[in-house]
Amino acid sequence: MKKSEPLLYLIVLAVLFTLPFYMGVYVLNVMGIILIYMALALSWDMLLRSGQISFGMAGFFGVGGYAAALLFLNTGVHPLVSIVLGGLFAGVLAWLIGSAVLQLRGMYFAIVTLALAEIFRVIVRNLPDLTGGPEGTILPQAIFAGNSTYTYWLVLGVAALSVAVSDIFRNTRIHFALTSIRNDEIVAKSSGIDVFKYLVFLFAVTSAIQGVAGGAYAHIYGFVSPEGSFSIDFTLLPIAMALLGGMHSTWGPVVGAVVLGVVSEFLKLQIPYGHLMVYGIIIVVAILFFPQGIVGTLGPRWKKTVSH
Amino acid sequence: MGLGNKLKQSNYQIAIITVILIVVLGSWKPHVLVEGFQRACLYAVIALPMALILGIVGIINLAHGEYMMLGAYFAYSLNVYIGMDPLVAIAPALIAFFLIGMASYRAIIKYVLGTPELNQLLLTFGLAMVLEQMANLIWTSRPIKLPLQYVSASATIGSFTFGTYEFIYVGAAMVVLVGLQLFLKRTSMGQAALAVGQNPRGAKLVGIHVDRTYLFVFSLSIALIGALGAIFMTRHSIFPLVGAPFTMKSFCLIAMAGIGNLMGILWCSLILGLAENFVLSFRGYAGWADILFFALIVLVIMVRSHQREVK
Repeated sequence: MKKSEPLLYLIVLAVLFTLPFYMGVYVLNVMGIILIYMALALSWDMLLRSGQISFGMAGFFGVGGYAAALLFLNTGVHPLVSIVLGGLFAGVLAWLIGSAVLQLRGMYFAIVTLALAEIFRVIVRNLPDLTGGPEGTILPQAIFAGNSTYTYWLVLGVAALSVAVSDIFRNTRIHFALTSIRNDEIVAKSSGIDVFKYLVFLFAVTSAIQGVAGGAYAHIYGFVSPEGSFSIDFTLLPIAMALLGGMHSTWGPVVGAVVLGVVSEFLKLQIPYGHLMVYGIIIVVAILFFPQGIVGTLGPRWKKTVSH
Repeated sequence: MGLGNKLKQSNYQIAIITVILIVVLGSWKPHVLVEGFQRACLYAVIALPMALILGIVGIINLAHGEYMMLGAYFAYSLNVYIGMDPLVAIAPALIAFFLIGMASYRAIIKYVLGTPELNQLLLTFGLAMVLEQMANLIWTSRPIKLPLQYVSASATIGSFTFGTYEFIYVGAAMVVLVGLQLFLKRTSMGQAALAVGQNPRGAKLVGIHVDRTYLFVFSLSIALIGALGAIFMTRHSIFPLVGAPFTMKSFCLIAMAGIGNLMGILWCSLILGLAENFVLSFRGYAGWADILFFALIVLVIMVRSHQREVK
């Protein structure tokens, strides 16, 4: 199973890369949204593997978006450069916050991150000279002049980056460090793992990915606003996706993002004012009845049938 | 013994800080003092049931503010359909939300009690989202406010005019705080709850029905917060997201006071309420009041972890 994985990745990547050549604009747009959420779901799961739960995706997503948009407007750097810098900004911010609050973990950390989106939103709203205040800021032009093929490749790149980082974390010694922190922090500490350092590093890296995703999103839609950029959707959907797909793996969030992404397109049309409720229900049901998710429940069975 | 002393000592410190703040504020900006006090009591009465659940049942309920929001909509619906005054609706809200609390506990909360904290956080977060969106679907996101005459009551001392209706929060906070203290100290159910909160296994060994205690404490807390929603909606406009910030502020207060310290919550909410109203009183900077609780919680976490390292 392990040996065939790189090949599988290459095939999937090749298929996804060539998608614009035989698919319409609508499919590309839906795929683009799915890939953005996939990056968020993966980054959330990466931190979860250490036993820390973050509700701050929407916060760093919005910060990355604002940083990218404002950098582009004020310094005139290339949009792609501004997206990378926006991600870095989100990462540095997470590093600072993490250094302060990761001393106390568990629910303290979780609730601080839950407040982050709201806090960032208040800050952005109260700095109208810089950020445009409550109305937000409109970029003069969407990235690549709105060309759907290029924007699709951009988000594919973001998603591929998060898959790559997630796999690096899974297949190197970082994985053992994180798993042992999750299982028993005291044992991890006594095996010589600097728990605090690992967690702050991880929080910064995952937040940087969320920032990059936010920057890409802001440039694609050419618009940042306190309500839109820090929307609870960017916290709720990735969590529902990762839980549905299965926690603590790379494939789980990926599968969950694809399944829920397709379902959500349908739901948005059916119940436009309450479709978020479905994601809440998915979270509750997943925690109660199948905490392993789709991949964790079906994965072993599938492997068995393949090997037979 | 050591813990009790430490708690008392920290209460004492917090009380001194609060008193100094009050004296300085009262002489400089009296309306900040009065409105801050009213706001503080609102925070305290919201945080107390959450502290009770966290201290005894041992889970952090991220859907706490959402239950209050539902309580507010409950009172609103009673007013619209049968013309009941929201303050009269407190009684049916208590009963209804006790039952809702029981149902929530039996259907979902019970199953994550023994599981990792992570599952509890995720579950109650999911629950919060469900309740929020359900309200969105039923009542839409349009803010609602009942036109009530009595809420604009005010009093004047010299040249200083202030709203008197908001003192209802002070009354509510006192009733809940004193009531909870009496419940925990004087009733056998309360004593059992304290024992379960300290050591569920030990409590089970001496014959306390742990599950039933959890059920009662959880339902009681939800009943209190639901009834508070009825009071809350007389003065504030309500919308599906109205409860969410209170969940976080309540947690901030509980973290400041220390889990299990009900009296400390009152002092901590005085600090938060006064500080927020102080910032609100500056024209042009009022928007920043909403990040104060965040600064406080980060500060508390840093102080707590520092204390732990020193030990």
